[in-house]
Amino acid sequence: MSTWFRILIFPGFAFLFIAALAFEWIDRRMIARFQGRIGPPWYQPLADLIKLLAKEDIVPEGTNKFAAAALPILSLTAVLTASLYVPVGGIKGASFEGDLIIVLFLLSLPALAYFLAGWVSSSIYSLLGGHRSLLQYFSYEVPFLMAVACPAILSDSWSITRIVSFQAQTAWHALMQPLAFVLALVGLIGKLKRDPLDIPKAKSEVVAGPLTDYSGRKLALWHLTMTMQTVLGIFLLVNLFFGESRFFNPMPALPIFGLKAAAILVALSTASALYARLRIDQLMDLGWRILAPLALLQMLVTLWIAN
Amino acid sequence: MARTIVPIGPQHPLLKEPIAFQIVVEGEQVTDSTMRMGYVHRGIERLCQERTYIQNLYLLERVCGICSHVHAVTYCRGVESLLGLEVPLRATYLRALLCELERIHSHLLWLGMLARNIGLDTIFMYAWRDREIVLDIMEALSGGRVSHAINTIGGVRQDITPMQREVIWGQLDKLDQQVSRLLRVVEHERSLQARTRGVGHLSLEQVRRYCVVGPIARASGLDVDLRRDEPRPPYDRLNFDVVTHTAGDVWARTLVRMQETLVSVQLCREILRTMPDGPIAVSARRRVPPGEAISRSEAPRGELFYYIRSDGSDRPARVKIRTPTLPSLLSLQIQLKAITIADISVILSGVDLCIACADR
Repeated sequence: MSTWFRILIFPGFAFLFIAALAFEWIDRRMIARFQGRIGPPWYQPLADLIKLLAKEDIVPEGTNKFAAAALPILSLTAVLTASLYVPVGGIKGASFEGDLIIVLFLLSLPALAYFLAGWVSSSIYSLLGGHRSLLQYFSYEVPFLMAVACPAILSDSWSITRIVSFQAQTAWHALMQPLAFVLALVGLIGKLKRDPLDIPKAKSEVVAGPLTDYSGRKLALWHLTMTMQTVLGIFLLVNLFFGESRFFNPMPALPIFGLKAAAILVALSTASALYARLRIDQLMDLGWRILAPLALLQMLVTLWIAN
Repeated sequence: MARTIVPIGPQHPLLKEPIAFQIVVEGEQVTDSTMRMGYVHRGIERLCQERTYIQNLYLLERVCGICSHVHAVTYCRGVESLLGLEVPLRATYLRALLCELERIHSHLLWLGMLARNIGLDTIFMYAWRDREIVLDIMEALSGGRVSHAINTIGGVRQDITPMQREVIWGQLDKLDQQVSRLLRVVEHERSLQARTRGVGHLSLEQVRRYCVVGPIARASGLDVDLRRDEPRPPYDRLNFDVVTHTAGDVWARTLVRMQETLVSVQLCREILRTMPDGPIAVSARRRVPPGEAISRSEAPRGELFYYIRSDGSDRPARVKIRTPTLPSLLSLQIQLKAITIADISVILSGVDLCIACADR
């Protein structure tokens, strides 16, 4: 496969786009089933996207027009760039020693852009939402990074590809360090601002958070960023915690990868349907009093095993 | 942190009816609030003076979109006492049946709204799905899901057939099962408790001072329920418990309302079982003798108060409605203090505002 094919088609942008829409549909459909509803048809995410792209794009007075347009593009770019380094079923766009750090960095850029979107807006709800998103970032990011670092430490490599292949020799990292996996999952929910950690965009409290004033194409880009980030976050967790395994060896890698990703998506959807939204102070408590010490504990255990 | 004013309403995703709050915040902390209402004022009390007593029935049923029946019942009782009418016992049973169904419907709707406002959409969907059972029963009884138009001065307009009774009996069993399950889920759902415990606290003394009524008063330990305190048929012949809790926060209000729903399901069964035979209405004169009457009922949100004055014509000289939402609104002044922005949605949901009732 040529490099261009890998960047643009598979496992690059086109694949990520289709996967994002598919995952959003599965997610919505599953939550609907949990709630006793039927849920939308398969083309609904695409229809929503096209509808938003076609709608009038309003930027209210007092908003920094350049920043309002640049921020969704910036975050989408960051997510697409990160996708190059996340292998899908062993097939990757690019790879080098230390690409895990790049991916983590690129995946936290949208959070910053999200905060700035609230900051440059003239709406009070956007400002409050932006403020909250920053507080939330500080609560989940530290335990998330520590949890994600654990597989890297155990594999003695910061390359995602090497971490994946390392697990073929031993066992899945999710089995060897289950605590790290759970922490990473909680961190991912916070990162994606999904229910029950959708605090920055809580509808009944801050309307739509930083995106309150967004409409049309820019809002569509934001939504696309979020769904792509969901897919990428899930793929990252699959690679780090459910990498290659001897048991699945004769079977084709791609369907197995898809199944693993779907399993994590089920976990995320279940959490969405089951829990009420936390208050921001409750999340801070959870992040710093429970998750961060647990992550530290897991890290010490991992270091001990690695030695 | 700078002081900012966050407007909530007249249009806001949190509110289902228009009312405006100006919340003064410092960071996430709420320090003060002001309120403005009157966005859905329709001048109903004045309109009542323009219409005949019978026409007013249909007007007053439209004061509220949730507790429509209890408004009509309370008005009817006031006019009937002015006329000196003795309403047939069977009619009072039929009225009470719809009142209790309305209470179930209102409480389930409320639970759904609370759950939705704290991001627990699953319970919202379940509560509103189970509410459909009540609406189906109401439709079978009166032909209307919200406005029933079943009352008339001197009784009710439609009787219940034995076949309807059987159908309703079966649906009540289903409702009982669903509401019990919902109550179990709510009791064990820790994330819901984390958001509602200790929020919107009203002490017994504050409840008394602000004249708060209904489930909110009962959640603070004030044992009031007009169905028991002012007994009249059929409630003087029925056995039921008045649910009270003492915590005084939104969590206690949730428990009170949910347990009251179960009590109401039981009451519906008892009403159906013990309903006597007989006529369902007596004829009433068009002109009402001069005089004044007050009439009170336990609406889903608490005491509903009607004052009616007659000057001897076929139109009332004055109709005054005091709805249970009014004291709840006043008590918000103390509830919306020393909280965070996230608690506003919980508190506003917790008091179960009916703005259309309060504005009239």
